[in-house]
Amino acid sequence: MNTTIMLFLVQDGITNGAIYALLGLALVLVFAVTRVILIPQGEFVTYGALTYASLAAGQMPGTAKLALALGIGAFAFDLFVARNALHGRLIVRSALTNIVLPAIVLALTVYFAAQKPPVAISIALSLVIVAMIGLYLYRVAFQPLAHTSVLVLLIASVGVHLALQGLGLLFFGAEGQRGPAVLSGAFTAGSLRFTGQSLTVYSITIAFIVALWLFFGLTLYGKALRATAVNRLGARLVGIRTTLSGQIAFLLASVIGALSGIMIVPITTLYYDSGFLIGLKGFVAAIIGGLVSYPLTAVAALVVGLVEAFSSFYASNYKEVIVFMLLIPVLLLRSLAAPAVEEEKD
Amino acid sequence: MSALLSVTDAHVAYGKVEAVRSVSLEVGQNQIVTIVGANGAGKTTLLSAIMGILPLKGRVAFAGQDLARLDIEDRVAMGLGLVPEHRELFVTMNVEDNLQLGAFRIERNKAKASMERVYSLFPRLKERRKQFAGTLSGGEQQMLAMGRALMGEPKLLMLDEPSLGLAPIIVADIFRIVTELRAAGVSVLLVEQNAQAALKIADQAYVMELGEFVLSGRASDIAANERVAASYLGFQHEGESVI
Repeated sequence: MNTTIMLFLVQDGITNGAIYALLGLALVLVFAVTRVILIPQGEFVTYGALTYASLAAGQMPGTAKLALALGIGAFAFDLFVARNALHGRLIVRSALTNIVLPAIVLALTVYFAAQKPPVAISIALSLVIVAMIGLYLYRVAFQPLAHTSVLVLLIASVGVHLALQGLGLLFFGAEGQRGPAVLSGAFTAGSLRFTGQSLTVYSITIAFIVALWLFFGLTLYGKALRATAVNRLGARLVGIRTTLSGQIAFLLASVIGALSGIMIVPITTLYYDSGFLIGLKGFVAAIIGGLVSYPLTAVAALVVGLVEAFSSFYASNYKEVIVFMLLIPVLLLRSLAAPAVEEEKD
Repeated sequence: MSALLSVTDAHVAYGKVEAVRSVSLEVGQNQIVTIVGANGAGKTTLLSAIMGILPLKGRVAFAGQDLARLDIEDRVAMGLGLVPEHRELFVTMNVEDNLQLGAFRIERNKAKASMERVYSLFPRLKERRKQFAGTLSGGEQQMLAMGRALMGEPKLLMLDEPSLGLAPIIVADIFRIVTELRAAGVSVLLVEQNAQAALKIADQAYVMELGEFVLSGRASDIAANERVAASYLGFQHEGESVI
């Protein structure tokens, strides 16, 4: 192996690792705040990617309709929960966020899909559509279960994953799609060739991580989210609603997922079910981070990306096996470090 | 004048076990009311139920409004604050963040002034404001828990065993601050095993045994009651048998 190949593999590994890092961070965030292990994270990736690719190809993505359908469901849940104390303001607010918003986005999507919109509009629409799906999914599938055990939440999570994957097949068909590059062009530095797309991936990942860091470190809502993760009862006692924290967490996770998808789809052909495996690699990173540590997760994600790049070169048939085998020594080490696992407290 | 908090015929159960039975109590404006009783009498359970953490059968009204349908978060927004026995601090966040979050439901500009007030009540917290809550001593954690609750500008502050496990000098400090709160217009519902200290500063008192109130009245009268003295204040009147 020569240096050029090695540098290529490293570059490839870091590009993928950056995306796994974003996904891993989202998983850690959602788990810490809501105790949901977000299996459908991968579907946010495919939905984001394929919505973007469809729009760019001038097709109408079904996800916009799904957002409206889920929004109507969320609205019904809101009404049902408040059925004994219904008042006008609550109904109007719920209708605005759950029905009017997705209806407007659906109308915009229909309008723009017909005339091959510019890249920026496709990205914006895809992000908003997937963000709404994430938000309403939390309302419909997870908020009613918020008080149950991690296991119940995990089962719900698997259910949502399967449902979304099935709908993905319905919306986008079994054919793979590719989207246009966000930034075209390339330049070479020495023997390395940087494409505009890989630079986009690096810069967006770094920008997002910095933004998250600022959000959690400096803003009141970011701190409220951390507080919910640290001590749920304590957070409620200062008036932070668990549902608000859950909504923010799901919103962030779905935006991160969609963004990752939009960044990947110009590089790799994605199918309706590709997201699962991509999400799982973020999950491997999150597990290495113990589902609690953000920096450890980010570093682990880069390692996962690098291991994947090198194993696809040396033993491409075993690429996935090798990546997932990374988990075994980590789990072994963790179980040795913490012999007595405490049962869930609440 | 109607009471700030009134609890009428409250029952709280864990499954089939009734931990609190038919309890009624009132806390007036600018009052310190204490509930004393042995470990396991149901005091913490009662406070948790008033806060909305546990379901309660019966009626709880705060500032004239029935709390039945309100969540914990709504009760906080109405001005009901609880400093729980285990404090429930955000241990991996610093003192200042803990306090700032205490004012989550309060307007930003008001929160600044509240923080200054809390720092003047607890100067120790100001010294440690960049330190993680989890690294504070027990007394400092108690002060932070009280400070965090005060940041929400409660009309009624419920304190669950604030003296538990603390050195006597810190306990004295905390009780002094409780009386200062009353002077500042905050009513206090104080649950304590340290009956002697609690009865000294309280206006009204209730004695709880096995989930029920067995005695209530002015704190000074309760402190003078022989049975209470024998069971909770740690000394016996001569020639009398205890229960």
